[in-house]
Amino acid sequence: MSPAPSPRPARRQHGSAVWLMLPAFLLLAIVFLGPLLQAVWLSGQASSLLTGLQPVANGGANWQRLLGDGRFWQDTVFTLRFALVSVGLELVLGLAMALLLHRPGRGGGLLRALALLPWALPGTVLALGWRWIFQAPYGPLNALIQFLGGQPYGFLTTPATTWLFAVVADVWKSTPFVALLLLAGLQAIPAELEESLQLEGASRAQILRRLILPLLGPWIRLAVLFRLAQALGLFDLVQVLTRGGPAGSTESLALYAYLQAMRFLDFGYSATVVVATFLLLAVLTLLGWLLLRWGRGRERDRQRGRPVSPAAAGGAG
Amino acid sequence: MKPLLLLWSLAPLLWQLYSSLITPEALVDPAAVAAGSFWTLENYRQLLVASPPFWRPLLNSSLVGGASTLLTLALALPCAYGLQRQRGALRWAATLVLLAAAMVPTVLLFLALLQLARSLDLGNRLLALSLPYSALNLPLAVLLLRAAFAELPAELEDAARLEGMNLAARLRHVLLPLLAPALGSTAILVFLSCWNEYPIALTWISRPELLTLPPAIARIAGSSLFTVPYGAFAAATVLGSLPLLLLVLVFQRSIVSGLTQGAIKG
Repeated sequence: MSPAPSPRPARRQHGSAVWLMLPAFLLLAIVFLGPLLQAVWLSGQASSLLTGLQPVANGGANWQRLLGDGRFWQDTVFTLRFALVSVGLELVLGLAMALLLHRPGRGGGLLRALALLPWALPGTVLALGWRWIFQAPYGPLNALIQFLGGQPYGFLTTPATTWLFAVVADVWKSTPFVALLLLAGLQAIPAELEESLQLEGASRAQILRRLILPLLGPWIRLAVLFRLAQALGLFDLVQVLTRGGPAGSTESLALYAYLQAMRFLDFGYSATVVVATFLLLAVLTLLGWLLLRWGRGRERDRQRGRPVSPAAAGGAG
Repeated sequence: MKPLLLLWSLAPLLWQLYSSLITPEALVDPAAVAAGSFWTLENYRQLLVASPPFWRPLLNSSLVGGASTLLTLALALPCAYGLQRQRGALRWAATLVLLAAAMVPTVLLFLALLQLARSLDLGNRLLALSLPYSALNLPLAVLLLRAAFAELPAELEDAARLEGMNLAARLRHVLLPLLAPALGSTAILVFLSCWNEYPIALTWISRPELLTLPPAIARIAGSSLFTVPYGAFAAATVLGSLPLLLLVLVFQRSIVSGLTQGAIKG
């Protein structure tokens, strides 16, 4: 005889609870869905000084122009290169930082706060700071090079290499965010597991490879997806650090869309660039997600324990 | 290793502090440093007598940040409560929508939001920025608060319901006091993100005295392509960082635990 199921007073609440979610989702629809749909619509319109800023349907002319627009493709290559290199570096350095912060010790809280600082400060403020650090010939980096007997280097004026220094500034700012997410993952790993491996005589490298990395999987995936999406929308940093220069070598897709609208007042084409960027982002994050899920499937085959899954985490990077 | 981490995180900031406190001559000429007497507050004085003075963007950012944080929490709290009570497809779909929204880079929304601001006459109104800002931060806030709601024992609310308390009373007297730490850390994270937002502020606000900190900083950077006022640059980065530095140091515990707890328990 099984016990009778107890009456669940909560059940009656389900209907009314939906109403509680409405205001928030309404605002989300206005600020996220509305603009995306409008951009898609506007990308089929001519809306520039030539049309008196009024939208006039022009077939697929914007999209045709996009396909033949060398500047768009150059910006796509830069944005992709920037995103992949910086997210890769942030992952490696973020893991190192998280392992370091995970170790107990005196002043751990303060150390965490100070390590987090670059992530918490405004991107434009930091970009302005980096502009001075990279300045030629007087900036601190060049002062150091000259002190060591070298020639000053145009960190922000050499088209072939300037993107690397944009990556440095981004890695500096965003690594703490990755580290924080991975730190959450590290804290969810039971200390006994690590201790028992230590008793078996496993080295630190073995513990990292056999225990920590597999269990960190879900957090690594989350961090990669969030950072990839944000890096593909690169704007604040290059707008202040380089203004897209030199010679357009650090012009991101978002900056190009911004310039089309605000400098050339070509809203139709700006919307086209926005939609193209969004598509690129959606395809890449979906691809990344599938790849990482495939990786997880293979991982599952190898191990018995299932990691806790993080469903909610910060997207404020 | 830990000193290395500190050096990596703080050296660029400390260098800004140093650069902001020395004369323009000392900045470009090591010989002037060797000669001594190069310390100055002139860079800060310049910023504060500029028109508009630099405390204006700091004040504007605080106002927008505060208003947006309140609005975000007011919308996110009921939403998180409602979401926690859903089961099945609706819960799954709502969570997916929130995660997807959290990933969209703000800058991709600027064009249509600009049109929205024009048609509703929201441009150059400081507090109007709270509308997009709240929406941008809702996904994170709802997910963090839902994780906190999930932590509370269900019996607690059932008992209060049997006492005859309605939803508003249950929230106010039973749930909110228990949620205070999660609310605090969510509020700080939302405030940080509003304080730092750039593309929307850049396109919605054009009057100099209404600029928030990020576009004000960018304007300083853009105003002087041909001179080298790097001392003033450095002073601006120091003043722009200071409020957040204090915030992070004071609330370090709840920032770190808020994000990590939210991530673990979601």
